[in-house]
This record gives sequence, C-alpha cells and structure tokens, in this order.
Amino acid sequence: MLGSVTSATLIGVDGHVVTVEVHIGGGLPGYSVVGLPDAAVRESRERVRAALANSGFAWPSQRVTVNLAPGGLRKTGAGFEVAVALGIALANEQLPAGVLDRVGVLGELGLDGSVRPVPGTLALVDVLARAGMASVVVPAANAAEAALVRGVRIRPATHLGSLRACLEGQDDWPDPPAPPAEPEPADDGVDLAEVRGLTWARRALETAAAGAHHLLLTGPPGAGKTMLARRLPTILPPLDHHEALEVTRIHSAAGHPPVHGLLRERPFRAPHHTASTAALVGGGSRRPGPGEVTLAHRGALFLDELGEFPPHALEAMRQPLEDRVVRISRQPFTITFPADFQLVACSNPCPCGLGPPRCTCSDLQRARYRRRLSAPLLDRFDLRLDVRPPEPDAPPGESSAVVRERVAAAVARQEARYANRPWRRNAHIPAGALGRMVPLDADAADAWRERIEERSLTGRGAARIRRVARTLADLDDSASVSATHVTLASMLREDVP
Amino acid sequence: MRCRERALAEGHVAAATLAGLPDLTPARLRALVDHFGGPVEALAAVRRGLGAAYLATRVRADHRDALARAAASWPGLADPARVAAQLAARGTTVWLDGEPGYPILDEVPGRPYVVLAEGRREARVLDAPRVAVVGTRAATPHGLADAHDLGAHLAASGITVVSGLAIGIDAAAHEGALEAGGPVVGVVATGLDVEYPRRHTTLYRRVRAAGLVLGETGFGVRPSPKRFPVRNRIIAALADVVVVVEATRRGGARITAEYGAQYGRPVFAVPGSRRNASAEGTNALLADGAEVLLDWSDVVVALGLTPAARRAAPARPAPSAPGRRVLDALAGEPASPELLASRTALPPEGVAMAVAELERGRWVRRDRGWVWPC
Repeated sequence: MLGSVTSATLIGVDGHVVTVEVHIGGGLPGYSVVGLPDAAVRESRERVRAALANSGFAWPSQRVTVNLAPGGLRKTGAGFEVAVALGIALANEQLPAGVLDRVGVLGELGLDGSVRPVPGTLALVDVLARAGMASVVVPAANAAEAALVRGVRIRPATHLGSLRACLEGQDDWPDPPAPPAEPEPADDGVDLAEVRGLTWARRALETAAAGAHHLLLTGPPGAGKTMLARRLPTILPPLDHHEALEVTRIHSAAGHPPVHGLLRERPFRAPHHTASTAALVGGGSRRPGPGEVTLAHRGALFLDELGEFPPHALEAMRQPLEDRVVRISRQPFTITFPADFQLVACSNPCPCGLGPPRCTCSDLQRARYRRRLSAPLLDRFDLRLDVRPPEPDAPPGESSAVVRERVAAAVARQEARYANRPWRRNAHIPAGALGRMVPLDADAADAWRERIEERSLTGRGAARIRRVARTLADLDDSASVSATHVTLASMLREDVP
Repeated sequence: MRCRERALAEGHVAAATLAGLPDLTPARLRALVDHFGGPVEALAAVRRGLGAAYLATRVRADHRDALARAAASWPGLADPARVAAQLAARGTTVWLDGEPGYPILDEVPGRPYVVLAEGRREARVLDAPRVAVVGTRAATPHGLADAHDLGAHLAASGITVVSGLAIGIDAAAHEGALEAGGPVVGVVATGLDVEYPRRHTTLYRRVRAAGLVLGETGFGVRPSPKRFPVRNRIIAALADVVVVVEATRRGGARITAEYGAQYGRPVFAVPGSRRNASAEGTNALLADGAEVLLDWSDVVVALGLTPAARRAAPARPAPSAPGRRVLDALAGEPASPELLASRTALPPEGVAMAVAELERGRWVRRDRGWVWPC
C-alpha cells in the first residue's frame, strides 16, 4: 500500500521539488520519516495524526513509513504536512487512486485539520509549475501569491476535510482568487526636485541609476549625501516581468509575502550599521537565510556611514560585489543566493569629517581611515565623489520624473546593445569585452590614456572609467564614446575619501 | 695615546647604552654624567642601581614612582657589549658633547650629551650652511609643493636641508633636496635602528645614502609622543635658519620655530590662506614676528649666500576661455568641481574638460576630489 504526493521545499530562496512517498505495511504500529528531515518535519507526526482524525480519516493501525525524496536534499519546515496527510490517505485507500496525479501539494496543518500558510509560496509554486504540475493545492492564505505564477491552476485549501471533498469530486473547487490589483505607484513625496544645487552629485546619481554603477558619496555631515542617495529609487527603471517575479520570489522566501501582487519597484534596502555580517550577506548556521545583499537583488543596497560598519562585514561584501551571488558553505552543502545589487554608500571624507580644505587630518590618519573602509571595497565603486552643501541660493533641480525618463532611455539602449550577452548593464561589462563593447575614437582614446597616466590608475580603475564613460554616452543618446565622456567619467571617480 | 682612544670608545659605548634605556631622558642622562664624572662611571653607577637613587633626589615627587618603575629595569637592560656590537655593525658615529665633530654649538642650552649619526660619513654634510624646513603632517597639496620646491632650491644653492623625516612637509622637503642632489640631515626621535614611520623606509635609505640620519636616543627606542617635541630642539639647534612651511595651530613645527627663536636663529614662515587650517600655525608665527617667506632666495640671502640660478618657470600654455573661467572661479584657492560648476555656470562636462586642460598645462592639480591651483 503506497501513496505518492508531489510537494516542494525551500533551499535558500529557491524551490526544489520533493516527492512524499508513504508506505503502510506490516509490523508494529509506528511512524517514521526518512530523507534528511529537520526537527520541524519530524515532529509533524502529531499534527498529521490529529488533523487526519479531526477530518474524518482513519489512522492506519500498521507501520507508516514516510520517505522524502530525493534523499540527499535537506528538507526544512512544516510545509509537507498536507502532502504527508494526503499520502497516508492515499496509501490507506481512503482517497481514490489518481486524484493527486500532476497535483502539487503545499501547506502546514493545524490539529483541527485546518491548512496553514507556508513561506516562499511563490518560489514553491513556480518550481512545481516548471515540473509539469497541472494544479497546485495551496493554503488559502497564500492563494493570491500563488496566483502570480502563470500556467498552473491554483486550488486554495482551508481545511483537510473540505479538501477531501473537492478531491473526491463531491464539491467544486473554490474559485482561485483574482490576481491582486496592481498597486498605485507609491507616492511618498520624495522627489529629486527637493534637492537644491548639487549639479555634480545629481549627475553621478543619474549615471549610477542608468548604468547600475556602484556609487560612493563622501562629504561633511549635512551636505545632502543621504538625502540624495534616498532619492535613487525615484529614478530607477521599473522591474520587468521576469525580474519582478524573481524579486517577489526572494522576498516571499525571506518571509515577506507580497501584499499587492508582484513587486514592481526595485528594492532599496538601507540596513543600519549595527547589522551583523550574517544579516548583511546572509548566513545563519542551521538554515542559512538570505541577507540584505540578496533582498537588494535587482535593486540598490544603501549603506549610510560606511565607516561605521564593522570592517569584517565590509570585507564579506566583496565577494558578492564581484560575483553578484552569495555562496554560503555549510558542511555538507552550499547555498547560492542571488545578489545582483547596486551599492550606494555614504561616508565622511576623513576622520575629522571636514574634508578639504578645512581638514586637519594627517596623511597617516586618512590612510588608516581608508584601510578601515577596506581599499579593495573602495576600488569597486565606479563613481566616487565629494559632496558639499549647496550654496543657499542654488535653484531646485529637475524632478525625478524628468531624470527617470532619461535613465529609462539609457537603460533601453543598453538592453538593445546587450540583447545576446550574459550581462545587461554597462557596469557589468566584463573587463575582457571592454575593448569590443566600448570602442573609443582617437580623441577619446587619447583622453583615456592621459587620465590613466595622470592618476596612475590601475587596470581595474581604468576599466571602471571606461564603463562609466559608456553610460554617460548612453545618457547623451550617443552611439560613440567621446573624449568628453571619458574626461567627465574620470572626474566622477575621485580618490576619496 | 692608545689608552686614551680606548677610553673614548668606551665612553661612546657607555653613552649610547645609557641613551637606549627607557625613561632615561636626555636631561637625566646629562645629570648622571655630570654627577658621576663621565659616561663610563655613570653607566657603572646605573648598573649598580646608584643612578636611579641619585636621579630620585632630583625629580619632582609625583614623578618618583614612575622613575622607580622604569629604573628597576635599567641594570638588566644596560648591556654595553651588545651596544658596542651594534655600533660596530651599523657603523654608527657617536659624538659626545665637547668632542671634536659634535655638531651643536656650545651656547645652545639643553643640547644633548650624546648624538648618534649614520650615513655618508666622509661627506661634509654638516659643514655646509644648514636650513631646517619643517611643517605639519596634515599638509595640503600646496604646502607639499612648497616644501618640495624649497628643499630643491636650497639643495641647489649648496645648503643642507635639516628636517624630521616625518610624513607631510618634512618628507616633501627631504625629497625636494634629494632630487636636487643636495645633502640632507634627518633628525629622528627614535633609535636609529627603528624606522618610523614605517612607510618612510625608502626615504630613510635615501637620506642615509646622501646625508645623515641623526638622533640622541640609543638603539631600540620606540616612537613616543613625548620624544618628538624634545627632538625638535635638535632640528632648531642644527639649523642656521628655520623655515616653517605649513603648521597647524598646535603642532610640533611651531615648537621647532620657538626653539629657533630662542637660539637666535632667523625664523621664516610661508603665509597661507586664512581658510587653510594647515596654515593657522604659520600665520600665527607671522603675527608673532616671524619673517614672511615669499621668495625662496630670501632664505639663501639671509645666510649671506648667493642663491642658485633660477630654473626658468615652465612655460604654461595659455588657458582657453572655459579654462580661464575656471581659474578665475578658483581665485587661488582650492574648490570642489561642484563649486566650480556653480560659480562658472558651466555644465559638468564643461568643467571636466576645462579642468583636464588646466591639469595638462600644470595650472591646477587634483587631490581628494578637489581642484587645487598650482
């Protein structure tokens, strides 16, 4: 007597299909779970038993063996309980055979047989749909989220008893929920128009938004660094459907189920400097979870007061910045979290906080400060500049809407140019492809070489200037990169702090 | 005669040994030598614990405990055999006050009893006229350029540049003089075998090759904040003229200038902008009556020498119209590109191109995200 039900589990932020097999056979009455279950899975026995009893099913008086396949995958959480309960009913011949073919089952059980929500529904339903399921039974509370996945029927379940009636065909399935209405674009009153003056810093912000470049703003307190950085989301292009699904899935898996359908705006995460290394890059011992860099995937991570973050946390950011994924290794498995984010950081210009020309820090003090900020991290910023308070009579600048339009046009140019490439934005052009992808005319090449000599730039620094120059050209709607673009790019990457 | 030579060498070793003991300051060293009648006798007394007992009668009551703690280690640390081996291995010269070759004049009060020096011994580095060029570690690009130019000009005029091998103005002055091929003297506040700051290792090597590294402390003495101001009196004492290029309000360079004034040396200061925090000290010196240094040759003239022929100022291409606008907007002071954009009403591209052109023509330089006129 064997029952088999398809379900799924979360590893990191990705769903993985799990087959729940139940065998009822000879031997003393008992219940065992095999297949790398964690404690939450193992203690599901009491919940499954009570829920079956309270939903009109009989508990078999023989030995019950539950196997979660594939055996090598570590299963976590209580999301298999509905699948296990239905598997037992199938094996016990209390459900007609075949009713659960090509049906995915998700959900946790209450003692009374009620079906409770599970985290990461979007990722789980998505992987089940890809695995060829025609329909997926989900907790009613997660049905709206599950409905975001296309190409699969969603069966909301509230109770094991009513679920049985629907499976046996006695009742009709409840209507799947209508996809939630797209939310109105959030208007929290934050706009670039409020920033007075700061022509340079605004240009840097626009360039960062257009090319997905990492941006570092230094300057004395009150210069407007934070104000400016917080307005980055107002000029970022919206997520496309594929990205929106990806981002929503990550946030759902991290325990923030979407309220208004797919997330359309790029994430903007601003962790406080007291955040731990694990909170920033992800981790945790038994069940590694995503960190801020993963929650900022396809969006921006804003670190205010960079110098206040613990040095080891900043060091840990280097690998995700380079690879755009976070790899967390735990014996005996490695989890990969996506971490394709844009880093925006603010810091003091030096230990005294004044910066030139009033700064009285010695060369040595500044070198020590740079060391704390981690020189390799500073090297990874494409745009670095010093921001000063605007002059009091400075006129207000353009509004976010105007800038956003230019950014969107520049992004469209990049998408078209990199259509057949593994990267999509200028900041991600591999160093080896720069010569081909960002050709320089004679004047521009002269300017580039001159800048390299003038500033004794490393190869990495020179490559960064070239990528930024490409973005400046895209913002100008120019097919070629000119000497002006290269020169401006080099001045937008200063040796600060 | 042979006996006399041996005694001298023994005195050198004893003095160098005493100078390397913790908390045995230059003043205490001199007091011990004066009381016990010579360095060899003073060392013998220290090794028997008598030195500390004598010093205890001279220090203030509240310093007695600290002295007793430090002095407890003296008999164990005083190892003349090891010091003698180091002196021989490193080729260190030792001068005792009153001996031929001792570089500081007798009328300088508080001069060290012992001076250790390493470098080009055959060169008559100390025979040339000497000018101290000192300043803050927190120097601006302007200050560094001035110190470098002044060092080079003095060296070209046959003058030995004396400074403290510190970061900032000191290093720039040393480097300017070294590049012009001149002799230099670096006066250190640590043992000669302790190179501080560490990143100046190359500079130490160049100063040793072209001049002297000189100090009053024994081997192994680590940098300590108290030693640096004390060291500055040697810089002032060695110099015929003291020049301060940039100094903060409370900095070691002002102490050097005050010692210079006390020893009757002419003191020059390079004026700076009221807005430049790194020039507050020099401007205060000027207000106190230091001489204004506007032309490097004034220093040479003050020594009664003929300045070196000027290198012709490099020809600079005339700036374009936007370049001129940026130069006018700078008005001789540093500015951020942001300020330049708002003052010239040029777009960022315009400012970037103008600044790049001015950089090419050596009209400006860039540092820490700011544009500084040359």
